[in-house]
Amino acid sequence: MKHCLIVDDSRVVRTVAGRIIRDLAFEVSEAGDGAEALKLCRERMPDAILLDWNMPVMNGLDFLRALRREEGGKDPVVVFCTNENDADHIGEAIRSGANEYIMKPFDADIVESKFAEVGLV
Amino acid sequence: MQESTFNEIADLALRHSGQTFQPSKSYLMEARLSAISRRESFATLDDLVHCLKARPNKRFEAEIAAALTGKLSRFFGDRDLLERIVTHALPERLKVSKAGRLRIWCAGVSTGQEAYSLALLLSEIDETLLKGAEIEIVGTDISTQCLEVANRGIYGHFDVQKGLSIQRLMRHFDRMDTGEWQISNTLRERVTFRRHNLIEDASSLGHFDIILCRNVLSGMAKTMKVKALSNISQQLLPGGLIFSAPGESLIGLQEDVIASMDVRGGYLRKQKQGKTAAA
Repeated sequence: MKHCLIVDDSRVVRTVAGRIIRDLAFEVSEAGDGAEALKLCRERMPDAILLDWNMPVMNGLDFLRALRREEGGKDPVVVFCTNENDADHIGEAIRSGANEYIMKPFDADIVESKFAEVGLV
Repeated sequence: MQESTFNEIADLALRHSGQTFQPSKSYLMEARLSAISRRESFATLDDLVHCLKARPNKRFEAEIAAALTGKLSRFFGDRDLLERIVTHALPERLKVSKAGRLRIWCAGVSTGQEAYSLALLLSEIDETLLKGAEIEIVGTDISTQCLEVANRGIYGHFDVQKGLSIQRLMRHFDRMDTGEWQISNTLRERVTFRRHNLIEDASSLGHFDIILCRNVLSGMAKTMKVKALSNISQQLLPGGLIFSAPGESLIGLQEDVIASMDVRGGYLRKQKQGKTAAA
């Protein structure tokens, strides 16, 4: 079973996204910010990461840049999932190594479609 | 809704668009007509039908029939098929086309996503594959309301996140202040939309190399399906292909429309003996 890490400071978002992603036959774990996510990745690198942008301690972009420098950190498929929906933010995320990008609000269809775009489902 | 109301509306749909409704789908009828009913200030569909019977109005009837058709449409709804058309079917057609002019018809295009998906793919493929080809994409639908959306090429937050990668969204769409996304002028210029009812003669649209007719015929009554397919296949150039949706077989509807042996999911028109193919 593939493993997806959900990184978002909102417990509600983590719960909703978690349900959707479990339905896609993933094992799911959660982190509330980028630093916690990085720690979890060092213990066990996930196959996929659903990543919020604005979070306390370490934001999504800083996490992504740090992740890609980690050993094995180029492997996970990273899908941003954020309220930031302008071209500048999206472009910066892609240049920093994000594979896909979901603009909030999202639903199960969007998550599945985006996961399909990057070959996760 | 009263049974007589259901029957009246079902009959209207059948006459205007060939579409058939099972009584178990009356909720679909109510959902699809709710906007019109509200706009015209009818409390119920029963009232709407009463009024229509008292004062028959052809234009209003046509609008109702159009609203009753399904609006299921998304970008890259059948990605494999669209890619097969662009990388295989069109290059094959180009070989036999004299002027290099290829025409595609998206029949029942609804709000335009299928036509734009094709235009998008054509803008991305290896230029050598369709070198020298001039490709025209025509989308038709019975609903003028859907065609307005298609012509504007403006789609919502949820629409553009299903079937489109973020790279394609960024490359081919512009974000508007409203939060909606508009497809680029370059792609919009590649596609034309026209109103057309598939149960009517389609000769004014001209002839086509490829005709897509997906999830349209399956909602029609058998006799209307036959009629629509006959109209559609009349517009198919010799050697051209018709594509329906998976699970929507065209076999047995019309004698001379047969499955293609070369292109999966495609149908072609059997050539009459003695008649030479002229593209």
